[in-house]
Amino acid sequence: MPSLNTNESTLVEMAVSGVVTTPSVRPGQYIPHPDGTAAVLPGMYGITYNVRCGDRAFGWAGDHVEPGVSIDDDTNPGRHHALHYLNCIGNDAVVMSGMAAGAKGIVIGEHARILVQFDRDAHALMAPGDRVQVKTKGQGLQLTDYPNVTLKKMSPRLFHAMGVIKANGRLNVKVAMELPIRIMGSGAELNSEYVDQDLMSGDRALMADLGIDQMRLGDLIAIRHADHHWGRSYRENAVSICLCIHGDSIMTGHGPGILTLMTAREGNIDFTVDPAANIAQILQTGA
Amino acid sequence: MTIQTNAADIVTVSAAGQVANPSMSGLPAEPYRLDADGKAFLWPTFGGIVYNVSVGDSAFGWSGDCVHPSVSISHPDANKNRGLNVFACVGNEAMIVSGAAKGAKGVVTGKSGRFSDQVIVHFDTETRGLIAVDDSILVKAEGVGLRVPDCPDVAFKSLSPSLFDALPKRLEEGVLKIGVVATVPPHMVGAGAGLTSEGGSLHMQSTDRAELAAHGLDQLRLGDLVAIQDTDSRYNHGYLRGAMSIGIVGQTDGPRAGYGPGMTIVMTAPAGQLCCYDAPGTNIADILGLSA
Repeated sequence: MPSLNTNESTLVEMAVSGVVTTPSVRPGQYIPHPDGTAAVLPGMYGITYNVRCGDRAFGWAGDHVEPGVSIDDDTNPGRHHALHYLNCIGNDAVVMSGMAAGAKGIVIGEHARILVQFDRDAHALMAPGDRVQVKTKGQGLQLTDYPNVTLKKMSPRLFHAMGVIKANGRLNVKVAMELPIRIMGSGAELNSEYVDQDLMSGDRALMADLGIDQMRLGDLIAIRHADHHWGRSYRENAVSICLCIHGDSIMTGHGPGILTLMTAREGNIDFTVDPAANIAQILQTGA
Repeated sequence: MTIQTNAADIVTVSAAGQVANPSMSGLPAEPYRLDADGKAFLWPTFGGIVYNVSVGDSAFGWSGDCVHPSVSISHPDANKNRGLNVFACVGNEAMIVSGAAKGAKGVVTGKSGRFSDQVIVHFDTETRGLIAVDDSILVKAEGVGLRVPDCPDVAFKSLSPSLFDALPKRLEEGVLKIGVVATVPPHMVGAGAGLTSEGGSLHMQSTDRAELAAHGLDQLRLGDLVAIQDTDSRYNHGYLRGAMSIGIVGQTDGPRAGYGPGMTIVMTAPAGQLCCYDAPGTNIADILGLSA
């Protein structure tokens, strides 16, 4: 099958730099379970040694677990936002300083920090403050023959790896699972170019009934009636294709983080469920 | 009906703020926001003294983005503003303590959340004409800690005991039932999900106008009592089958994706302990006797 036409040859590839973060905790930073029971849990920032893209999203003794290495540039808001707005999933990253200098990684998510997966040997050598540079490429990517389909944070590499096909006049995307729009929660207040929207996992019985608790970090996800063009809202017949970027949360209104990759309003996107639709597999981010 | 509360045990405390000025982002001073269709718009939004929008008016149809009726206040210190935003309750008395309207009394009608964090206070039109931006306003904050002994599983927040007393309600077989104008289904809940339920607002989404109308939400007025289905607001707002929250429409509709009229959540229960019944026209402007 011929590949879909894109404007890939027009994209600008640009270096954007951040540093490996270290966990930041406020004094008394308890977070509540839905019944109010307080907890202190790890998950965000830093180097996560034992949770990788491709691992389970649920069941960790953690909250909003960010797989891989979380990088940011919080010294300057302009640089911070450049890191967020120019990075695309599947972009190449290189460690530029410290003991792991030269190690190569792949951008696997964007939370309040950019999440980059390196191999275990590199993780063992990296330290907070090490500089990581990303060759950003993908903002502006379009499907020439599908002007009503919008791509977001989609590197050409990821798009090609997803194996999107034409079927019955629409695009068909393989996804690991479908989420009902009624459980899409925290992040509704943000624009859809910035970070993610959590699914709300507080109804634990529903998570089990629908198999959502089997979600893996890196899973491709479909949501019907979700318009993610300029922000995220309910719109009948829209479809958005997303990516699971961080782990579950104990907090009401939170859960695994779902980042927008594709969105269309008028039935231009359909999907097929295939449990193997995970970026750890299709981008070969390593075990 | 009268339902006993622990009102006699509630501690009333001062929480002060200043009349807010509308605020926009810095250089390059881009004045536009984007609507859900990606079109740039420039409309008044939250903050400031709003002369011609009041509780009781329609929540829809204004050339504004989530406009707060009457007067919005905040405290310049972030922690003290948090104190104001959490402790102020809908129905609380407010008093202007500086400026030309000094001594005038008003009533808290709502709160707003992330990105604005203001408390919305109703003053009549004549008083509004005398108020200056930065005037100090004191709220006699009363309501945090409110409980109903017969309904131990219902959590109350941002609600003055006297307003609770005045709301249409029933207690049937241990279930607290509140009279509301409409019910927001869970797929129409937008901005505010996952954020704190002790302050701020939870917004219904208005991008899909047909869906909004199908649920009778397009006729809401500022101050209307509404129910939010399958929503647990005990600690943050989030989806849970069987849960229910009760809110009061605090700010107007707006064109941004994920937004629509905001609601200040005043009650919630996780598993059927809180319900609602149709009570058309239930609005705090009437209940509290607030006139423009």
